[in-house]
Amino acid sequence: MFEIRNGEREYAFLNDKTNQQQNRYGKDIQLVDENNPLKGKSLNINGDASIGDNPNRYKQHGFHFTADNCIGCHACEAACSEKNDNPAHIAFRSVGYVEGGTYPAFKRLNISMACNHCDNPVCLKGCPTRAYTKFAEYGAVLQDPDICFGCGYCTWVCPYNAPQLDPVKGQVSKCNMCVDRLEVGLKPACVSACLGNALNFGVIENTPENREQVKTEIPGFPTTDITNPNIRFQQTKTLPKEMTRTDSMAVKYHQDNNKGIFKPVVDRKKRLTRQWNLRKLRSREDPLVVFTLVSQAVVGAFLLMFLGAKAGLLPMQQAVNSGAYMPMLFIMLGIEAVALFLSTMHLGKPHRFYRAFNNLRYSPVSREVAGIAVFINSLGGHFLFSMFDVEILKIAAEIFGYAALISGPIALYFMHKIYRIKARPYWDHWQVLTAFYGNMLTMGGLLVGLIFVPVFMSMDMPVIALLNMVATVMLTGLVIEAIGHVFHARDLNRSGREGSVSYYEQITTFGKTYFTRNVLLAVNIIALLLLGLMSSESALALTIWGLIAISVLVSAIVSRALFYVLVVSTTMPGAFFWKNKGFEEHARESGLAEMPQVGVVPDVH
Amino acid sequence: MLFGRKKKNPIKIADKEIVDWKYTTCGYCSTGCSIEVGINKQGKAVSSRGVASADVNRGKLCVKGIFEHELFDTAGRGETPLYRDKYIEDFREISWDDAFDTMAEKFKAIQEKYGRDSVAVISTGQILTEEFYTLGKLTRGAIGTNNYDGNTTLCMASAVSGYKRSFGADGPPGCYEDFEHTDCLIAFGSNLPEQHPIIYWRLKEAMEKRKFPLIVVDPRVTMLAQFADMHLPITPGTDVVLLNSLAHVILDEGLEDAEYINAHTNGYEEFKALVADYDPITAAKICGIDEDTIRNVARLYAKAGAAMSIWTMGINQSTHGSDGVVGVNNLNLITGNIGKPGGTSLSITGQCNAMGTREWSSCSGLPGYRYLENPEDRAEIAEFWGIDKEFFPKKRGLFQTDIFPAIETGQIKALWLVASNPMSSLPNTERIRKTLEKLEFFVVQDAYSDVESVHYANMYLPASIWAEKNGCFTNTERRVNRITNVQPPYANSKPDLWIFNQLAKRFNHYQQMNFPETSEEVFEEMKQLSKGKERNLDISGMSYEKIEKNGGLQWPCREGEEQGAQRLYVDGKFPYADGKAKLIPLLFADNNERPDNEFPFWLNTGRVVEHFHTRTRTGKMGNCNKYSPTPYMEMNPDAADDQGIEHMSYVRVVSRRSDAVVMVQLTQRIPYNMVFIPFHFHDCANRLTLGLLDPYSRQPAFKQNAVRIEKIDQKEAAQRNVEARAF
Repeated sequence: MFEIRNGEREYAFLNDKTNQQQNRYGKDIQLVDENNPLKGKSLNINGDASIGDNPNRYKQHGFHFTADNCIGCHACEAACSEKNDNPAHIAFRSVGYVEGGTYPAFKRLNISMACNHCDNPVCLKGCPTRAYTKFAEYGAVLQDPDICFGCGYCTWVCPYNAPQLDPVKGQVSKCNMCVDRLEVGLKPACVSACLGNALNFGVIENTPENREQVKTEIPGFPTTDITNPNIRFQQTKTLPKEMTRTDSMAVKYHQDNNKGIFKPVVDRKKRLTRQWNLRKLRSREDPLVVFTLVSQAVVGAFLLMFLGAKAGLLPMQQAVNSGAYMPMLFIMLGIEAVALFLSTMHLGKPHRFYRAFNNLRYSPVSREVAGIAVFINSLGGHFLFSMFDVEILKIAAEIFGYAALISGPIALYFMHKIYRIKARPYWDHWQVLTAFYGNMLTMGGLLVGLIFVPVFMSMDMPVIALLNMVATVMLTGLVIEAIGHVFHARDLNRSGREGSVSYYEQITTFGKTYFTRNVLLAVNIIALLLLGLMSSESALALTIWGLIAISVLVSAIVSRALFYVLVVSTTMPGAFFWKNKGFEEHARESGLAEMPQVGVVPDVH
Repeated sequence: MLFGRKKKNPIKIADKEIVDWKYTTCGYCSTGCSIEVGINKQGKAVSSRGVASADVNRGKLCVKGIFEHELFDTAGRGETPLYRDKYIEDFREISWDDAFDTMAEKFKAIQEKYGRDSVAVISTGQILTEEFYTLGKLTRGAIGTNNYDGNTTLCMASAVSGYKRSFGADGPPGCYEDFEHTDCLIAFGSNLPEQHPIIYWRLKEAMEKRKFPLIVVDPRVTMLAQFADMHLPITPGTDVVLLNSLAHVILDEGLEDAEYINAHTNGYEEFKALVADYDPITAAKICGIDEDTIRNVARLYAKAGAAMSIWTMGINQSTHGSDGVVGVNNLNLITGNIGKPGGTSLSITGQCNAMGTREWSSCSGLPGYRYLENPEDRAEIAEFWGIDKEFFPKKRGLFQTDIFPAIETGQIKALWLVASNPMSSLPNTERIRKTLEKLEFFVVQDAYSDVESVHYANMYLPASIWAEKNGCFTNTERRVNRITNVQPPYANSKPDLWIFNQLAKRFNHYQQMNFPETSEEVFEEMKQLSKGKERNLDISGMSYEKIEKNGGLQWPCREGEEQGAQRLYVDGKFPYADGKAKLIPLLFADNNERPDNEFPFWLNTGRVVEHFHTRTRTGKMGNCNKYSPTPYMEMNPDAADDQGIEHMSYVRVVSRRSDAVVMVQLTQRIPYNMVFIPFHFHDCANRLTLGLLDPYSRQPAFKQNAVRIEKIDQKEAAQRNVEARAF
């Protein structure tokens, strides 16, 4: 049991006099009823079998933050990091701020934020390893770093930046609500340390002593409909209509006239210039660029060959029956295996890869991995059994072929579901699906063409039909992708909020890159159309084909890289140095990050 | 579980396996928080927490205190004494004995050649009171130089000087509990949430219990200014004008406490005649606060049942620092707000033991607030120490800020620096470099061997730090609290007390003097010197055990008393001979370096909560340093826009002294014609500062300088910034 300090003061003790029945989302605050078997069990903290005597043990708890009072002194963050023994680059709680007005009518609003132990914990649902648990005790959402394999998906889905991915340890950890303190009736360490009388804690929906407001909106805090977070605010002092962030995120918050609620809008911090920033296209997610593109290409190529042959497309029948079919399957298996390996190695703890299947019930990551696993095994089975000229084995090869045919597109569907994250408006659009399926066709067609055109030519077979077929498939893929891009850009620009910010970054920071990608896409579509109409296998046509192949590949890679670097999540505002992406980048580039006390990990790749 | 695993792993929460908590007092600022340091089985300090029962902090700590246990192992700690003949050579390790022999020999030789005062000693506000007392005894009684002062000249000298001028003696008369009784509080140039977060919390608690008006005078919109009921964004360096004008309104409207003035003050007529010239209309044009606001504040303050003023560096670090303090005291004297609950002039002090050095170090005179200028004091101390009274000079020597110019021009040839870092902390860094180069013999005694001043040192002595030692600190409210040795001294470092005692052995007077070995024995000796009915600084009722048990005791705590006194001058009796305080007329003349066409911006400097002084400690602890790991400058976005300067870009700031490279943080927290740079960073803000000296306290005006902003190549700037950061 947690040891209570001698002479501990009143401010440190939980103090819930009466509680309400339901929270504002219509959920019971009492988390389990009288006879529930979950009651009366030990939390087993560090192996301690005792059970806390907190009378509100089975009620949902949450933080209450009086934003008007926060002085930004870092005591809460420090108390948290001290208690949890966190290194400088990890923080379960962080303080950022927004500010507005003109001197001296200036206001800064500091915001201290940790985990909100949500009613709908998207981290828990997203985690493929089931490292998360929402406990009946206090409604605490706890994560077990010993189960986590460091994919970081929870950090993508959480709108509040609560889970912390440690690139050094290769695992996630997060706020544990100080359940050890709650068990003995103490408020969490951060609350107990607060020097502005801003942070408080108790049964959710309760108004703390000397406070009068229990609301869920302050500027900088994302909407509650994503996760139903268990945090409440008091913020009664009038703020300027526009509150800006000091960190590099191009977001500010504008008060709407009707309800007085602050909404995120684009902050044109830098002058509107179009830049390349090709180096910034690289990110921690580089392996995913490779993995998604390769998987889509392999699924697409297999679909084209297998289904094409079945549907009576002559070039595909020729391809399947040629001696090159087996090597082609082998190549596909090979590059898919390499891509899978890269994406596994990008985990914080690759040796725990097998845990990816743990959460098929909720996590799109688990489902995607399962889908890809079925596809790759089916493809493998198809390859293996196709080697034998025995009837029964041929049937097996057929069955595996159909399994791959079905599982491939399903896997890609789940792959797309991974990115449909409400906290990441740039991704949460049907364009992801058109991009992935479009790419499946484009890259699949390209892969088939790259292998079989030389094969046919070496066998002195005509390639014109093959080229026309590939052109049609790739064209379809590109058009599907392009339609998605058009609507995506339009919807982002209209959306306001963080989606517009992504769009702003897209046309400024990566403006030239984005423009070039669009030009390439258009050129590729037109060129393929012309090539299809020309229907030529002349040296000139083949040269153009070669150029288009390169262009399609470049466009696809740039497009996918942009997809990962442009996403702006609904995160909390940072401070000038701490939790400021712009400063982190600068610290890495300039070498400041080499000093560990700067709190920026030098290399995240 | 509601969702998640059926079969749960045990919940793992970091367990530092603490087996013992050891009591001590925080070694950063002067708030004086009681800390317990958690020790694990291996004897390592692994945790810090506030002492819940202690009255000062009531269990709370700020970001620095929360990580104070990490201090013992911070990078750059000095491991062994080092020596070199010239600063351009490499250091070699030497033994402690050799170090003391050399040091004594060099000091003696230089004194022989150039005179006794050619050796200067500059101490600090960081070491223990017993160490201050011993260093004073050594310097005044054995080495015998009159050029001995503390770096407290940079922070509290104006408060000391102002208290002495108004009341006849130093010593903040109020306490934190005054917040719970006051009906009106003015904070002059004091940003509690950033500088003294625990004192802010005590103020906040008091205001939540019982709201009273909070008025903040500060050119920046600090968090305190933002939370104030009234914020007076004053023009830098003009506090005296505002204070005179407040007094003008109070006297003009008959709001003064005439009874108190008659009974307890002198000089009323002269004072009244002077403030008559500072009507709000005239004052508003100088100090930038409109006349209505001045009248409103004056009335509010005078009519309040009890009203108090607090101030920090906004007043002290100014060419009118001492006058500013006197002005605050004047305000409280004419309204009868001294020595009563909620009515006081409370300077919020800087370093953890700035008070200890003021009381006992003999820097400005002799121990226990005695004066060299006073023959009885000289005779008393000489007899007590066992030396000839004629050995003492008859008036105090140079202040810290006058010692450096005396080195620059060759009157002082040797310097012994104890726990101070002038290379970062003094104004005009380039001038200090040039000055330190000239020393014939320069000793730096510090817990850190990477402190920048070591660059010019001939000898480096590794001192133990904070709770590796045993003794006392005195805080802002005159509370003496205990530092116990939580950890053994690091490597071959030694407690400053031991160092002083060993060096003392090398001087002739040692034979006739007594240098007790333990700090408790020293404390007992100080108690003897503190006795006296007329003496406010009376600690004779204290003992180490009693101090620790009470979480600190305030002086006076006379022999036989269980508790100390919360306030001074409760009876209206002041330490001046006639028992009355002085109302002092303050003529204002603006001598600051003001912005002009060539240098159009005010440069204001100050602190941030996560750092302490020159970052020798906090710059090495990630969980403090990460909030501002590199220098930055607050600049108004409109001014930046006019110059085409972008947020988060580097600029070069130029003054009449030199230049500095900083990263720009745009914020409307400061006015169009001002920039603000935290002073903590080496080779940064103080490369720019002028630091004109206050005529009384010799404290530099760090906060009133003129600069211009130049664009700089971003890559070059980043490189220059990285190269300037050893930590």
